[in-house]
Amino acid sequence: MAIGEPVPMLDSVARVSGTVPYAANLKLPDMLVGKVFRSSAPHALITRLDVSAAEQLPGVAAIVTAADFTGEDTPNLHFGSTIQDQPIIADDRVRFIGEPVALIAAESDGIADQAMDLIEMEYKELSAIFDAEAAMLPNAPTLHETFPQNIMRHAKLRHGDIEAGFAVADEIIEEIFTSPVAQQASLEPQVAIAQWKDNKLTIWTGSQSPYTVRSVLASIFGLEPETVRIIVPPLGGGFGGKGNIRTQPMAAALAWKVRGRPVKLVMTRAEEFLTVTKHAAKIKIKSGVKLDGTFTARKVTVYWNSGAYASSSAHLVQAGMLRTIGPYRIPAVHVDSYGIYTNLPIAAAYRGAMSSQGVFAHESHMDTIAHRLGVDPLELRKKNLLRTDNTFATGEPLSDVYFLDCLQAVVDGVGWHEPLPRRNGSVKKHGRGTAVMMKNTIANSSSECRIKLDSDGHVVVYISTVEMGQGGHTAMAQIAAEALGMPIEALSVSGPDTAKTPPDAQTAASRNTYMMGNAVLDAAASLRKQLAVAAAPILECPLEDLSVADGYVLVTSQPRERISYSEVLRTNNVTALTAMGKYTTNVGDLDPETGQGISTTHWHQGAGACEVEVDTKTGKVTVLRYHSAAFAGRVVNPMLAGLQNDGNVIYGLGAALLEEVAIDTGQITNPNFSDYMLPSFLDIPVELKNVSLEVEGSSFYGIGEMTLPPVAPAIANAIYDAVGVRIRDLPLTAERVLRAIQERTDHGQ
Amino acid sequence: MNYKLLQPDSLPEALGALAQYSDEAKVLAGGTAVVLFLQQRLIEPTALVSIGQVPDLAYIRSETNGMHIGPLTTLRDIERSSVVQGRFPLLAHACGEVGNVRIRNQATLGGNLAEADYASDPPTALLALGAQVTATSANATRIIPLGDFLLGFYTTCLEPDELITDIYVPACASGSRMIYLKYKSRSSEDRPCTGVAAIAAFDAETCTDLRVAVGAACEIPTRLPTVESLAHDEVWTDDLLREIATSYAASIETLDDIRGSAWYRTQMIRVHVQRALEEIRNGYR
Repeated sequence: MAIGEPVPMLDSVARVSGTVPYAANLKLPDMLVGKVFRSSAPHALITRLDVSAAEQLPGVAAIVTAADFTGEDTPNLHFGSTIQDQPIIADDRVRFIGEPVALIAAESDGIADQAMDLIEMEYKELSAIFDAEAAMLPNAPTLHETFPQNIMRHAKLRHGDIEAGFAVADEIIEEIFTSPVAQQASLEPQVAIAQWKDNKLTIWTGSQSPYTVRSVLASIFGLEPETVRIIVPPLGGGFGGKGNIRTQPMAAALAWKVRGRPVKLVMTRAEEFLTVTKHAAKIKIKSGVKLDGTFTARKVTVYWNSGAYASSSAHLVQAGMLRTIGPYRIPAVHVDSYGIYTNLPIAAAYRGAMSSQGVFAHESHMDTIAHRLGVDPLELRKKNLLRTDNTFATGEPLSDVYFLDCLQAVVDGVGWHEPLPRRNGSVKKHGRGTAVMMKNTIANSSSECRIKLDSDGHVVVYISTVEMGQGGHTAMAQIAAEALGMPIEALSVSGPDTAKTPPDAQTAASRNTYMMGNAVLDAAASLRKQLAVAAAPILECPLEDLSVADGYVLVTSQPRERISYSEVLRTNNVTALTAMGKYTTNVGDLDPETGQGISTTHWHQGAGACEVEVDTKTGKVTVLRYHSAAFAGRVVNPMLAGLQNDGNVIYGLGAALLEEVAIDTGQITNPNFSDYMLPSFLDIPVELKNVSLEVEGSSFYGIGEMTLPPVAPAIANAIYDAVGVRIRDLPLTAERVLRAIQERTDHGQ
Repeated sequence: MNYKLLQPDSLPEALGALAQYSDEAKVLAGGTAVVLFLQQRLIEPTALVSIGQVPDLAYIRSETNGMHIGPLTTLRDIERSSVVQGRFPLLAHACGEVGNVRIRNQATLGGNLAEADYASDPPTALLALGAQVTATSANATRIIPLGDFLLGFYTTCLEPDELITDIYVPACASGSRMIYLKYKSRSSEDRPCTGVAAIAAFDAETCTDLRVAVGAACEIPTRLPTVESLAHDEVWTDDLLREIATSYAASIETLDDIRGSAWYRTQMIRVHVQRALEEIRNGYR
């Protein structure tokens, strides 16, 4: 059967031969080039904006400024999927360096560049704020008047008696952890090609959320959603950065002004850093424990630096609240999760959204607690990890709980109890570390699909699942192939194209395999039923005596009495059968004051363990071995699952050891891949292994992101094991490690 | 990007273009740096003089007294040259440390020196080797020791009308041991945080000559002859190597960038000068 087989990516030949039709490479006839003129001040009132010289430059088709949005029958300037605070281009005020101020459509790159030079702008600078915690102080400058102290969202969790919990603790351990601004770093940049024709808007774009883009654009331009068409070719990487709405409104605004000709807007690498980032986070975590290692209380305060506009932060701040607690039995938990406006580019989801910051904090903290109590960090985890039928801090009971299994798999992988190489006199020290993660899904969402069977026996699965290299389309084809009893070669997958493929919330949060997979099963069941109904008169047999299997409708008691799908269609004189499928989950409404309720239908679970070598003279950390585990339930494609798990680890090495967007008073100083450092293939651990845990009779819960968040804390814990220093700030740079080693030596420890 | 692209097919024509446009011109060799500068609008030349079609500027010529390397020779060709590997293994190694293979296939040695990017490997190796640069204009030719050629942060003594037409590396004493030690504080394909090039000659156990150049941690690659001379006529002890390393660290003004603070750079000079010398003492060649 197709599920469980290592089927190659459906488009694997195109991938290795360089012919995947990325939107970045798409050229339409008569296409114009779009460019963005941006703010050079972090916070300022625009006192003068003069685009007249640029408009008159030959070859300039259109310039869009906020003035185009005033008056009757003009589009809305502001948009946002939750809080409508973001202008497509700045109105009279800019709130970060690089904020779009004017848009240009021109015949060529060169002309657009010349037009940029002709735009004149003057400012009156306002004081700016870049640090999230400082932005909450009473005298801090305010970005949006309706959000005092720059608090865009305050999510709260109140579970148990926190004061009593700390009162009975034998030890109280408090630490502060920070994660810097980072960037999703897709190889393919953000791209949107927009065309406005006959009052219809068509966009070809790299997006993880085609239907969100459609609804937001429809709302901006006052269109019926059906007149906005979003086509999404395969993405050259998404990593959360292409979720929600990004550059599409700018491209659409240019097309709206140009009327007719398509306009292509592609971000440069430097503009990528201005378009979306990962939230910087400061996490204060305090735990009460008994000497026997039992937890009594935990209090967490998180400051998410959300940048100048809300984008998806408003709901991510609540998700992030749940992802900073940790998968442990703790009777009393308080969390305050603040989404804060600052004068920085917008922060949004980043592969394993709002998890890697929190997991770095709670898993490093676990090791600190273990060392304070003098116990093995592994044993402390085992003692406290959540088990089936335990209750999480939201008050919800847990099922399908396999944290211990994930942890055991990875520590066995690195040989936790085996002696480490310890060479006398060597400046290189070895250490091991481990970490566990839990992550809720997007619990209130829906996926739909349509399956069409042709009389020649070919099946097309129409879905709005975005293929971004993860193999999402291949997995759906496998699920459909198994459900219809057909070989995978008989299937193809089409979409996303909102004119052809039904709605899906988004391809994010490890939700596709589970949500869309169940929608595919639903559609396949419906199609099987239609086939049986159509076959019953041909086989002269009542419906209830028929089965559908292996491409045939057959009489259950006499399997030789059968008829192929195509024969069913041909005999009935129909060219195609179509079935719709849908899968919806609707939990996730937590009490706003207490955070209590059912937050998810499934908890994603994962773990990592590693062995590192630390050069005590340079502080340089080399990850020698890394083992990861994800709880999958059921694996759809073991080859792609393995690549996804390993890919997470490699990606995670960047945030753990290397990546930090450098910012000087609001100006990003390293917006390129020479200075913003990603891991090289040469940095991959020599031993890199993964496991996707399966359970008999379980569902395919997806494995998208589970193995990423443990990477940084596993390495930080291994550094401590090797050289006895605790690094609480990401990335774990060589310099930070060396400073910590020298400070420890200076203090004579 | 509204520059005039000139593609001279002879040296006199190229030099004529440089004389005509002077500091309004920029020379394009491999393009790995200049194209980035253009894209980021850090430079806005009137004329871009592409010298790729000028003949006879890419060569490696080994002679008894030394080696001539043409300015358009790619770093990849130097890295892979068996004659460079045989006579100046640290230079082959330093060129092989730059960026990745795609960059090395394109970047040229002349371009590398003319850019004078501090965060680079070949200049440090060439300084230790005592290399000389030939600069040619329409009117004159001059030969400049590399130590005088590199003036500071992205700054050389090259005049706007001059082109590098040759790089000369004098022969080392026979039996010399040499090493280029690149330290990357971040990814395996990063630019250097510090680079140390060391060359030493010995009579049995006694050092007869030592040259140590430190780069990437400071504005220009730096040698400290008085410190180098501590090693002369000495058998290398741990204490001596530590003293040399500590003196280099103490004497060089380090810079602060995304690959490490000035404090860290100072530590890394000490660690890597010592490691380089230990490698040489252990017989590295």
